[in-house]
Parts: sequence; C-alpha cells; structure tokens
Amino acid sequence: MKAVYAIACLLALSAVSADVCYNEVSMECGRATSSLALPSCNAVYGNFGRQGNVANELQAYANLHLRRSYEYLLSAAYYNNYQTNRDGFHKLFKKLSDEAWAKTVEIIQHVTKRGGTMDFRSRSSLETEARESTLELQELESLAHALDTQKEMAERAFFIHQEATRNNHKTHDPEIAQYLEEEFIEDQAKTVRDLAGHTSDLKQFITANEGKDLSLALYLFDEYLQKVV
Amino acid sequence: MKIFLAIVVLLAVCSSAFGTQCNVNPVNIPKQWITMTHGCRSSVRQQIQMEVSASIQYLAMGAHFSRDSVNRPGFAKLFFDASSEEREHAMKLIEYLLMRGELTTNVTSLITIRPPERKHWASGVDALEDALKMETEVTKAIKNVIIKCESDRDGQGHENNDYHLVDYLTGDFLEEQYKGQRDLAGKASTLKKMMERHSSLGEFIFDKKLLGMDI
Repeated sequence: MKAVYAIACLLALSAVSADVCYNEVSMECGRATSSLALPSCNAVYGNFGRQGNVANELQAYANLHLRRSYEYLLSAAYYNNYQTNRDGFHKLFKKLSDEAWAKTVEIIQHVTKRGGTMDFRSRSSLETEARESTLELQELESLAHALDTQKEMAERAFFIHQEATRNNHKTHDPEIAQYLEEEFIEDQAKTVRDLAGHTSDLKQFITANEGKDLSLALYLFDEYLQKVV
Repeated sequence: MKIFLAIVVLLAVCSSAFGTQCNVNPVNIPKQWITMTHGCRSSVRQQIQMEVSASIQYLAMGAHFSRDSVNRPGFAKLFFDASSEEREHAMKLIEYLLMRGELTTNVTSLITIRPPERKHWASGVDALEDALKMETEVTKAIKNVIIKCESDRDGQGHENNDYHLVDYLTGDFLEEQYKGQRDLAGKASTLKKMMERHSSLGEFIFDKKLLGMDI
C-alpha cells in the first residue's frame, strides 16, 4: 500500500513539474539506444486523467449516449410499423437517435483529445443496475420515457460539470466544464423543454371532452409532430 | 397491500394490450399481406444485430486511432465513417421489416448493446486487415440470410421463396459489401507496400491521404 502511495506521489510530482517531456527527450536522445519511450510526451494535463473520475464519467457518458441512441432507434422503428403508424412520433425518436449517435462519436473524440483512452465498459458512479424495460409504449408513455431519459442525460452533464468545477478539488477541469456547457447543456435544456411541452399538450387533449377526443387528438398531435420535429 | 400490488401489476400488464384512458384500442386489419416466414424473419433480425455490433466495433477502431499516442486522424475518420455506415445498414434492414408488416411486437429485443470485442490494433495495416475480415464475415452472414429467405417454410409447411427480399439483399447489400471490401483491400495493399520500406513515414503519409490532405 505504501509503495502504491509513493508511486502515486511520484506521478503527481512528475506531472506538476513543467518540462517532463523535454527532460525525457534530452535524456533518452543522449543514450545510444534505438528506441524512444517518452511516456510523458502525451496530451494529458490538468486533472482529467489523474484522478480518474472526470475521465471515467466522460467515457460512461459516451456509453450512455450509445445505448440511448439505439433505444431511440427502436422506438422510432416501433412507431413506424403498420399498426402504430405514427409518423410524427417516428420522426421525433429518429431525431433523438441521430443526435445521441453524433454525440457518442463526439464524446469519444473528446476523451482522446484529452489524452484518454475510450473504455466501452465504463459506467458512471450514478448508474444503477439497468432494469429491463419495454420500448413498445403507447403515445403519452413514450413521450414520458423520452422526457425522463433526456433529463437523465442533462443531469449527467451537470454531474460531470460539478466534478470538473468543484473548487479546490483535485478534479477541477475547466476545459471539460466549458465543453459540456457549449456542446450539451444548452441544447439539452431545449430538448427537455420541448418534450415537456409536448407532454402537457397531449395530456390536455386526452382528458378534454371526457376523453371523447382521444383518437382524433392522437392523430392530430402526430400530424403536428411531423411538422415541428 | 399485496392485493393492491397485484392489481397494479395486472393493470400495467393489461395497459399494453388494451386501450386505457390514454390510448386507443388496437384494431384488427387483415393480415394476409404479411408474408415473411419465421426463419427468414429471424435471420434478418440477427443480421440487424450483426450490423449494430459492427458499428460498435468500428467505433472502437475510431477511438483507438484518435488516441494521442497513436495519432492517426485519417484512419480515425475512416473508421468513424464506417461506424455510421453500419448503423445505416441496420436502419435499412429495420425499414425493410417495417415495410413488410413486421416489428409490431418484439421490437425491444431486436438490438443488444455489447462492448466491442477488440480495442487495440498494432498498426494501420493491422486495422485495415481486421476491418476487411469483419466485412467478409458480414458478407457471409448476408449470403446466409439470402439462402434462408430463398427457401424457407411458411406456417403451413409450404416451401417459400421471398423473391423481393432476396433481390434487395443481393442487389443492394451485397453490392455495397463487395465494393467496400475491394476498397479496404486496395487501401491495405497500398499501405502495406509503403510500409515495407518506410514503415513509420509510410503510415503517416497514408493517414494524411485518408484525411484528403496533400503533403
């Protein structure tokens, strides 16, 4: 245990000193070997890789986007079968899927931008055991599911942001905080608000006129989604 | 309490099958037009899962070549693009099933996300050859779907040939596979020739070429 601690201290110390890469280059170039290892000449700086938490959370965030992307794709497929036949709901979920997929690639690229390695097994410390749930939901349920999962992703961004900005903490990383603010947080607020708005509308249509408007309301709302998504 | 719980569970189960205050009752319309056979359907479903797994494997390749210590943005771009292409293949097959009246049930179990099998490649050549191997396996799997759908048995035990799906897979999917394989094989050959004499410079130049950069 002490040895691990000593190595950790040594690593921390070496990372603070400014010209580690340069020192390695001068030392190894002076020797008559044909190999250059230069382990300190990498893109890792700040607290990104050192404490592990922000790095791990960001990898887990990519994995969450990947999973959601394919779940939304299946929801989109379900609403495009001949029985459900709701093209607006199909478009809504297809868009969520495409966005989550693009973000998956972006986050992976950002992990490597900061000198990290992408681990597809990383899970967030916030994640609980995933429960088996069906994606074959009726209209209002599916909107509720989309709203919940989008909120989860938005709150996860807040959590990583918090990890990256805690004052005087060893995980402080303004670059990650800025990246999350610019690429995620603003858009997520809009997506969540839009989905909440859709839910409110649909809820009113369902209960209005003692539920007699139900089938026409669902039809019209789907037509509306086709226009706005 | 237990009875209450049981009622809640029962309601939850029923709500998916019947109309509630929030959704309309499912309607019955004739089903004779839905003609895909069981074996053919499940082989297409498996193919969708295979395309999804390939998309994730390509993501891992893109991630590997994006690393600071590997630094091959051209290769990374090639593999990230390939990853999106595999996802599109999965989407095309899903669209096809929907057109044929499928995917009204068992939608959730269609795709499972598993971490990629491999996450490290020794060189660009290694990765291109691995990609070629993977594409070859996908091609073989598509051919097996074709074979299955060409002579399957329907519910009454009659021989059934799904001409249209067989034609679609042969014309669209196999064509794309063969073109993709030829492209990867060409790239691997060119790179391997460059690597024979000038290993690190060869890969560096080839990578920039993949980015569309002239150096």
